[in-house]
Amino acid sequence: MVKLTLIARVTDGLPLAEGLDDSRDLKDAEFYKQQVKALFKNLSRGQNEASRMSIETGPYIFHYIIEGRVCYLTMCDRAYPKKLAFQYLEDLKNEFERVNGAQIETAARPYAFIKFDTFIQKTKKLYQDTRTQRNIAKLNDELYEVHQIMTRNVQEVLGVGEKLDQVSEMSSRLTSESRIYADKARDLNRQALIRKWAPVAIVFGVVFLLFWVKTKIW
Amino acid sequence: MGTENPGRPSFPARTAATPFAAAPPQNVMPFSSSGPLVGSEASGFRPTPPAAPQPTVPFSSSGPLAGSQSSGFRLPPPPRYNDPSVPPPASNVPPTGGPFQRFPTPPFPSTVQAPTSRVPPVGQPIAQTPAPPVSFRPQPQIPPVPMGAPPQSVNSAPPNVNVPYSVSDSSFPAPMTNFQSSFPGYARMQSNADLQPPPMQSPFPSHQGGYAPAPPTSSTPFLSHQGGYVPPPPVAAPLGLQSRDQMQYPGSGAPGSIQGLIEDFSSLSIGSVPGSIDPGVDPKALPRPLEGDVEPKLFSEMYPMNCNPRFLRLTTSGIPNSQSLASRWHLPLGAVVCPLAEAPDGEEVPVVNFVSTGIIRCRRCRTYVNPYVTFTDAGRKWRCNICSLLNDVPGDYFAHLDATGKRIDLDQRPELTKGSVEFVAPTEYMMRPPMPPVYFFLIDVSVSAVRSGMIEVVAQTIRSCLDELPGYPRTQIGFATFDSAIHFYNMKSSLTQPQMMVVSDLDDIFVPLPDDLLVNLSESRSVVETFLDSLPSMFQDNVNVESAFGPALKAAFMVMSQLGGKLLIFQNTLPSLGVGRLKLRGDDLRVYGTDKEHMLRIPEDQFYKQMAAELTKYQIAVNVYAFSDKYTDIASLGTLAKYTGGQVCYYPGFQSAIHGEKLRHELARDLTRETAWESVMRIRCGKGVRFTSYHGNFMLRSTDLMALPAVDCDKAYAMQLTLEETLLTTQTVYFQVALLYTASCGERRIRVHTAAAPVVADLGEMYRQADVGAVVSVFSRLAIEKTLSSKLEDARNSVQLRIVKSLKEYRNLYAVQHRLGGRIIFPESLKFLPLYGLALCRSTPLRGGYADAPLDERCSAGYTMMTLPVKKLLKLLYPSLIRLDEYFLKASAQVDDFKILEKRLPLAAENLDSRGLYLYDDGFRFNIWFGRALSPDVAMNLLGADFAAELSKVTLSERENEMSRKLMRILKKSRESDPSYYHLCHLVRQGEQPREGFLLLSNLVEDQMGGANGYVDWILQIHRQVQQNP
Repeated sequence: MVKLTLIARVTDGLPLAEGLDDSRDLKDAEFYKQQVKALFKNLSRGQNEASRMSIETGPYIFHYIIEGRVCYLTMCDRAYPKKLAFQYLEDLKNEFERVNGAQIETAARPYAFIKFDTFIQKTKKLYQDTRTQRNIAKLNDELYEVHQIMTRNVQEVLGVGEKLDQVSEMSSRLTSESRIYADKARDLNRQALIRKWAPVAIVFGVVFLLFWVKTKIW
Repeated sequence: MGTENPGRPSFPARTAATPFAAAPPQNVMPFSSSGPLVGSEASGFRPTPPAAPQPTVPFSSSGPLAGSQSSGFRLPPPPRYNDPSVPPPASNVPPTGGPFQRFPTPPFPSTVQAPTSRVPPVGQPIAQTPAPPVSFRPQPQIPPVPMGAPPQSVNSAPPNVNVPYSVSDSSFPAPMTNFQSSFPGYARMQSNADLQPPPMQSPFPSHQGGYAPAPPTSSTPFLSHQGGYVPPPPVAAPLGLQSRDQMQYPGSGAPGSIQGLIEDFSSLSIGSVPGSIDPGVDPKALPRPLEGDVEPKLFSEMYPMNCNPRFLRLTTSGIPNSQSLASRWHLPLGAVVCPLAEAPDGEEVPVVNFVSTGIIRCRRCRTYVNPYVTFTDAGRKWRCNICSLLNDVPGDYFAHLDATGKRIDLDQRPELTKGSVEFVAPTEYMMRPPMPPVYFFLIDVSVSAVRSGMIEVVAQTIRSCLDELPGYPRTQIGFATFDSAIHFYNMKSSLTQPQMMVVSDLDDIFVPLPDDLLVNLSESRSVVETFLDSLPSMFQDNVNVESAFGPALKAAFMVMSQLGGKLLIFQNTLPSLGVGRLKLRGDDLRVYGTDKEHMLRIPEDQFYKQMAAELTKYQIAVNVYAFSDKYTDIASLGTLAKYTGGQVCYYPGFQSAIHGEKLRHELARDLTRETAWESVMRIRCGKGVRFTSYHGNFMLRSTDLMALPAVDCDKAYAMQLTLEETLLTTQTVYFQVALLYTASCGERRIRVHTAAAPVVADLGEMYRQADVGAVVSVFSRLAIEKTLSSKLEDARNSVQLRIVKSLKEYRNLYAVQHRLGGRIIFPESLKFLPLYGLALCRSTPLRGGYADAPLDERCSAGYTMMTLPVKKLLKLLYPSLIRLDEYFLKASAQVDDFKILEKRLPLAAENLDSRGLYLYDDGFRFNIWFGRALSPDVAMNLLGADFAAELSKVTLSERENEMSRKLMRILKKSRESDPSYYHLCHLVRQGEQPREGFLLLSNLVEDQMGGANGYVDWILQIHRQVQQNP
């Protein structure tokens, strides 16, 4: 059963539309919405994710497809057939592209296509019950292949971004530390040089001074 | 000169020190901090305490100017001339030390003494004598401007009339008189100057500093005194006077010429000895607001970038600079905000979308960018006008500055030129996606509702408005009805006709269907229409007399809690079943006049308040439509509307034949007017002042965040200011109203209104800048709130007391100097205040006692008046009375057809000529009064054959003659000019009691009626009290 539906632009994570009153009997809807937002943020950072993916989170599972720089995401129960979920997203995608396709790139404000929620609502109802004739037919339809769609865990997915962040942070730290190291090394070099030649220089200096004094006096 | 410094430091040091000692930026909470609607942006904000440059030197004797400049938070040093009268006790208590011996007494301790020592009008050469000439010797040398002697004298005279030269060549005595009267500060100061040797010159610069930037170079105090008008053109006197205005309001035009000065206060001659019975007042001469509400012009001219007064009006545009000054202003100090006021065509609020930069706001106080921010550092930084913090300009928003320091892209940036703008809110401002507009109707179908015909009218009206509901195609709609059970309607789009579900278990309410009780209107349109068509007949034979209102309300809440929206309740029978049942308690005569009286006007059952809090939390606004002919406890039901930002409409004894049209119009307006959903509103203001109390229909979510589930153009909110600091050091206080809301189309927006007001140092100026409309609005809200906690009598007395106090204070400013012994004087700006005060005491919520207004009407009028915008409120308090018959008999001149609407008459019975026909219009209804000796022709023409019948049974309709058409045209025009309520038309004939009494005569506020005063008596009474010594 579909719990949440969100549509966002991949390039900057701007939410474009969202199904309303989806979270009626969902207790921690806020928590999952936050996860979805984090997910969108990850996507907008340009990590090359598969265009179709399922991500497990707690008792639910996110399914999303990315097409035409728009991400269509839905959250369902784990038991809900994957095939139907992706069918649902395909339906949304087709309609969304038909209605708003031209304006997606120019949308400037969040939820610019909030009017689309009526369609989301309607479509969702069609997919609510897995045992309707229509849905069973869809399930049996072999045309739509979902087997190769990857399933990953949400921690993993959100973690990728974190790990990448960590790596880049570490590498930048490495650069700065090595620069410091280079500076320090140069400094030490110079000190060593001084330590090595200073006595000799002093001795010579004294000798020359003596010579000079000598020539001056006598 | 050097020696005076030790005496001064206590003032500047104080001005500099106090702001830092106690300078919490008052609007610490950003918009988003507390609502479920608003986003995480709050977290980004941490109020950083302002750095105090010199917090440790408050009482050191460093140079005064340096001391006051140390703040670094304002551009020019604005010292206050009246510091001595103002500063906290510490500086007033003269220690025996040297510095203070120059202030033998607190310099301006009371206004009463000051004028006595002051020299009356110029032109009396005697005036010169008391001045120790030595003290002012330096002055003539100092004005560095090459100007001719006469203007110089006019300009510089007021502060030192006593100086010989000022009088010697005063070729313009009259203007100078006015000048002084307009500037009481000078008067008091001057008396001081008489007392003081040279050191007291220092107050002069400080005085001027309040208005005009003192030139930083001026080392002598007097130079800075001149600073305000250093550049006046050396022309003739009138110009000199104008320049005085400029010096008060830098940047203003020259609004007050001589005329303005003369009008500075008005006086009314009261011939009789105060206290005698003989009214010596000429009733004709009393001021009356026959032109209706006049918005304060001066204010908007001074600050052309302010938002229009229809959005924000201050009770006085001169903000007092010290707490002691504020405490002498006995009227409310605050503002009336109508955030969504309807703008005429062409003046729509511009919409700004900051796509790339995000909304530009101050880091510290979260002020939105506005016309008053200043850009510095070649355009890379901007200074917040409210907290003076320097903020970085985001790269995408950067623009170069031109030579005058203005951004070169100013003409493309409405947010930098207009006082009102709307920003498109980015995601951070939403906790959830914008919800669609939701309308849920909860309709009483008990027997009395059926009989009154209410259901039919409601069903028809809703049906006719379906096309115009805002938010197509997302609008959601739902219905429930109730009597002793609750009926839900499944309106799924696939059905052909709605299914009714009855829930009769009132103790454990549940919603029978998860969805489809609230449906998308565009999809289920036909089902909704079928339902509305059949609704009246469905309950035709219902004989149920019970009302399970409380449980029904809970059920409606459960249905709506997901989306929020507007809940419209049509209620006819006193709630009698389940939670929230109410008792008959309103008809107890004996309670009146006792301490328990106010209990009648507050909700009886906590259930309603708790429900209201819950509803607001889920963004549900409640509008209550009550129809009962019996007592229905509006006091309790209205609570729902009060805390959810809704409104109460009460139609006592509703009969569809009579009130149908009114209900139709008002419900249609409610459904179709542009509404802002899920909104929160906050008003920010500059350092040192803070809004502390709010009045109107809303729920306060934190100390200063108003939660408004729905707002529309007919709602206004009042709020009161207090000064947090003893002294304000800024010259201008800025106000910013921000309303974050979801428009019906699904856009989330922030509407921002910005206004600036000058800080003034003297009371006369505050009076001069007062706005009577706003004062009365705040007043009436306070008075109505007072009726909820005390007796009506007390509420009325408090109104009178405050008027008296303020007039007394004003009198103390001027009376002695003008020898106005027997006259009552009041500021020009507040000349209608006594009359409005009287009208307020006689308005429905406050008038009389038990018999004068039914309790329900009283309460509903109270709830209504709490929301009314200024203009409508004034119209309600002082309705218009127009004579029509003369106009009918005149040959038809189409051009000035509606001029007649402007010819308002004073509201007194003596103006009713028994040969005339009058129209009384208070914004809610028309009363047409037929004089006894009105020519039968007119009556026949207007009423047709039954003109002689009892008028309560006659309805007005257009007939086939010119006169009737004219009348209808006028009524139509009046209704159009004010569409928020429908004016129901009542006809009444002279002498037709008791209808004439309650329809018209009791509303003629200038007449004596029952125990209430007439206008003349009222003025006399106020005058007597003003004259009494405290």
